[in-house]
Amino acid sequence: MDLSPRSTGDSTSGQGATPVRRRWLPMVIVAIAIVAGGVVVTRFLTSAIDYYCNVDEIGVRSGCDEGRRIRVQGVVVEGSLAKENGATTFDLSFHDKTVQVRYEGDPGGVFQECIPVVAHGRLQDDLFASDRIEVKHSNEYVEKNDTRMKESDEEAAACSVQQG
Amino acid sequence: MSATSTPTGTRATRALGFATLALTVWLIAFGLFVSAEDVVQGSTVRIMYVHVPSIWVAYVAFVLTAVVSAVYLSGKNRSLAWDRVAGASAEIGVLFVAISLITGSLWGRLTWGTYWVWDARLTSTAFLFITYIGYLAVRGLGGTFRQRARRSAVLALLAVLEIPLVHFSVVIWRSLHQESTVANSGTDVELDGLMLFTLFLGIVTFTMLFVWMVLHRQRGLALQDAVDAHGLDVAIEQRRQEAEVR
Repeated sequence: MDLSPRSTGDSTSGQGATPVRRRWLPMVIVAIAIVAGGVVVTRFLTSAIDYYCNVDEIGVRSGCDEGRRIRVQGVVVEGSLAKENGATTFDLSFHDKTVQVRYEGDPGGVFQECIPVVAHGRLQDDLFASDRIEVKHSNEYVEKNDTRMKESDEEAAACSVQQG
Repeated sequence: MSATSTPTGTRATRALGFATLALTVWLIAFGLFVSAEDVVQGSTVRIMYVHVPSIWVAYVAFVLTAVVSAVYLSGKNRSLAWDRVAGASAEIGVLFVAISLITGSLWGRLTWGTYWVWDARLTSTAFLFITYIGYLAVRGLGGTFRQRARRSAVLALLAVLEIPLVHFSVVIWRSLHQESTVANSGTDVELDGLMLFTLFLGIVTFTMLFVWMVLHRQRGLALQDAVDAHGLDVAIEQRRQEAEVR
């Protein structure tokens, strides 16, 4: 308990009084929070360096140039998905424009035909070589009801959900 | 005065607590067993019944923090009770943002295929989390109760401006995160029957839990302040007695 001399004034009133001693832990936490906030913003801005393009904007919109590293958004075309030698290939479509994508590995998540995805990579010789696939889920949620729908019907329903 | 012998509950908070507990049981039943799987996500959709209510409660908590902070700053009688409600609400808000970030990350791994992306919604939510950790740290910097109340109230009024940025980030920027399903003006709600009911059940349950937690926590903070003030009073009294002996 700190018994060092101090001015009296209103310090005995309780409501407005508290030890005036500085606390170091909160200061350290404030400093860490400031640094962490800076890191978060920097990471966001750094990730934004790769332009976010729809398939139909490749070669059209500024920043969505062939040969440049970009993020491409589109829907996996039904019937185009194939896997060979550990690689996944599929067609990505948006507004009637299509690009073929090749990804080394399994994209993971709920990746499937008819689902919107974001592919990171470069377009070279009409093939988009991707090193990262992110599945983009829509804001629609449809109940699966096993008593009314067979598996094939569910896939069709999923396709209709994603393609609107 | 003894903090351990003074309960923070009342008959009303106990009733609220039991009601919240009953709704939680309902939420678990509907979230895990009664509501159907999603046609694309399967059972992963059940994470939504915790994720969305958590960020909703966080928004409510931070708005409440800002409102009571404004009341404190603008009032003629600057009661420290407002400041304690602000602190309690912010603490609980930080807890629920953390829950939202963790559940969202798990959902992202199962749906997107990755735990984290530096996407506008995720980044702005992480920034919100960090901001309010900073807010809580600022509250603990020391000084008088009134100094604490004044500086944290100003910070709360600035920090709450991040909430619209977080909520509309999926509209402002192209984002991996989907747009709002329910709070989406101009479009119909795109959640099938029991999914929508379960989600609303989650929001109501979590909101009641938040109210219950704030009521208890702000009383706990009042007791803590009383203990701090009492300790200082004792120290000053001892000092005066020493002076009288001399």
